[in-house]
Amino acid sequence: MRRPLIGMTAYAQQVHYGGNDLMAGMLPMTYVRAVHATGGRAVLITPDAPDIDVIESLDGIVFSGGGDVDPAYWGAQPHPETEIDEFRDTSELMLMKAALAADLPTLGVCRGMQVMAVAAGGTLHQHLPDLIGHDRHRAAPGVDPMGAGASAFGRHDVVIQPGSRAHALLGADATVNSFHHQAVDDPGDFTAVGWCPDDRVIEIIESGSLRFALGVQWHPERTADLRVFAALVEAAAYCSRRDSRLAA
Amino acid sequence: MRPIIGITTYVERADFGVWRDVPAALVPQAYVEAVTVAGGRAVLLPPDDLDAGVVDVLDGLVLSGGADIGPSLYGAEPEPLTVTRPDRDGGESALLRRALDRDTPVLGVCRGMQLLVAAAGGRLHQHLPDVLGHERHSPAPGVYGEQVARFVPGSRVAGLLGDGAEIQCHHHQGVADAGGLVVTGRTEDGLPEAVEDPRRRFVLGVQWHPEVGRDGRLFQALVDAARRAALSAAG
Repeated sequence: MRRPLIGMTAYAQQVHYGGNDLMAGMLPMTYVRAVHATGGRAVLITPDAPDIDVIESLDGIVFSGGGDVDPAYWGAQPHPETEIDEFRDTSELMLMKAALAADLPTLGVCRGMQVMAVAAGGTLHQHLPDLIGHDRHRAAPGVDPMGAGASAFGRHDVVIQPGSRAHALLGADATVNSFHHQAVDDPGDFTAVGWCPDDRVIEIIESGSLRFALGVQWHPERTADLRVFAALVEAAAYCSRRDSRLAA
Repeated sequence: MRPIIGITTYVERADFGVWRDVPAALVPQAYVEAVTVAGGRAVLLPPDDLDAGVVDVLDGLVLSGGADIGPSLYGAEPEPLTVTRPDRDGGESALLRRALDRDTPVLGVCRGMQLLVAAAGGRLHQHLPDVLGHERHSPAPGVYGEQVARFVPGSRVAGLLGDGAEIQCHHHQGVADAGGLVVTGRTEDGLPEAVEDPRRRFVLGVQWHPEVGRDGRLFQALVDAARRAALSAAG
């Protein structure tokens, strides 16, 4: 049997490698390995031509991290610290709405969780230091806040709502890395079920009605704890089998 | 629904935005744009050697360029200037075998052409300047060698591009023996620049980089073949 095919939204951006400096469709290998390690097959979905037809071929989808969502999507003006990625916004909001409408198992990571909230009619805080008075949700690039001996900057606990699906998956609490300066304010049609206990910043959103739609504000792909990826791949396998049976 | 075209990715340590030295799956955006312009839906395929089942949902496959293929793929020992990516070799070989089994349309570009040749039982020269005595196929890092290829009349590539074409090359290895494939294009030094398998729906390898520049005819031909393959599979 074919492994569940998991689409992962990719960046289209300037990269430097070897002696090359060029525009590339790309995604850090940590995402790819997280899907392969949990039994899925990763394919990268570039924001080249906004369309949703690719959804039909996927068993599940991951919306990856990256820049900020344009606040125009929820009717706000951009904050001076907001750095939008217009190309990805257009493509990913279209894909997200289609994925949710199709009830395709969906995982949002960092920016991906924020795209989930905005696609579902929600809003974001554009710059957390303005709200909570510190920037400890944003670890320095290249740092592993979960590593042995790392400072607590960019690492914090998450408390999880009893009775939620995230609680069944992750338990009552977790310790996570943190690489963001924006956060979900209103999760729209989703439900907030996990928070940073220090400042009440929303860390997990989920759907009670869709088969699998989970957003996490941290980067599980950069840790050894791949439970959210395993849950996505499992849901993708289950839904794919079920949908094929229904079609047959 | 557009034909889905898988493009194999490189895996390289890359700098981007504020990030440095991050292992990333990547492919030059020019490949993605070439597929998009031709009417296909590009999805990128990072290397994965567990299985090649993903080919079953593809309508076409592009084997992209990059580092040298492992000489073990054609039964040789690596020479001093050969730089390989074993993770790509395994994953891409499996994808190619599956694609050939299913008669999925395949376009091989540069390294991808060399992979096609190895899969067909051929072999490569591991450093062309040693064989040809010139560096016109890869004049300098980041610089394409501008050359002219001549095509065999009646071949697939001649049907697409005519008698010849100006091509942009960047490779230091080349085809010594095309194995079960037919050589249908060469530069004036005699080096094979195009190979194809006339027994299959669409299997074309080119040693140059058709994604660079504005000539989209090869990608158009791949996407058209992929569309036809999808329609015939749908019955």
